[in-house]
Amino acid sequence: MTGLRFQHYDWAGGREAMLRFGPDAGPIALAALPLFEEANRTRQFACTILRALAERGIGSVLPDFPGTGESLVATADATLSDQRQAYSALAQQLGADIYALSIRSGALLEGDATLAGRWHLSPQSGEELVRDLERARAAAGRAEGDYAGNRLSSERIAALREAVPRGDGRCRIIRLDTDPRAADATYPGVPLWRRSEPDNNIELAQKLAADIAHWIAA
Amino acid sequence: MLVIFEGTSQVETTVRAVLADILGLSADRVAAFTADTPLFGALPELDSMAVASVLTELEDRLGILIEDDEIDGEMLETFGALVTFAAGKALV
Repeated sequence: MTGLRFQHYDWAGGREAMLRFGPDAGPIALAALPLFEEANRTRQFACTILRALAERGIGSVLPDFPGTGESLVATADATLSDQRQAYSALAQQLGADIYALSIRSGALLEGDATLAGRWHLSPQSGEELVRDLERARAAAGRAEGDYAGNRLSSERIAALREAVPRGDGRCRIIRLDTDPRAADATYPGVPLWRRSEPDNNIELAQKLAADIAHWIAA
Repeated sequence: MLVIFEGTSQVETTVRAVLADILGLSADRVAAFTADTPLFGALPELDSMAVASVLTELEDRLGILIEDDEIDGEMLETFGALVTFAAGKALV
């Protein structure tokens, strides 16, 4: 059974939905989309990567976290701590051979989860994320606390600002070739997470799936 | 590609690429931009949210930091104004 499945997982605070791709056995890539608006811009791209991974025999999950996707938790009520707890609970339920596949601020959700490795696409720190949120809020002329329709408390913003992606253990950082920051590898492509209209890049998704598959197998 | 600004061609190329990548404009279209090409208010793709994305992407690619109080309508009025602003940040 390797087609797309709709499943769910439980964590201490409730139940969340997840998409499952590829085989159940063997290593599993646990995908985490960026937080907030960038999630909408990268979801289709992430699914394209996961389908390409399935074709290479690697299973994966694309979960909702509390306050994201189809979650019953309102965005305003979700906390970074809850999202990290849900992430850890899911990683534990999936098994021993779990690899983070985190896009942008999705890397902030890994927290203390037990992982065999971390693969980060253009990881973003909490400080950079909050800067983006504040700038978008100011540009849109929104009131304080209203981030493109997301109501975020000052406590939530403070917690996000302090969050940094973990780089310990087995970790691989991928960036676009237009990004001058340090990376283990770079690929040509446009930053879909900043596009004004959502788009996909099938060629890049296939290259990234190959990169992930080689890295997991190494 | 036409180089408008002496000594800032690298910055100019980056600004063109960022506008193409973030706003989804064709390479031909941004290649035809001149210093006088109007941007904010003239490009429907460049709404206020896109402005935030364009500036943040410029920061990342040029390794610069743009303070919020530096952002005004003038720097986004024309392609030339945006390149001049970015070059002033990147080349100091």
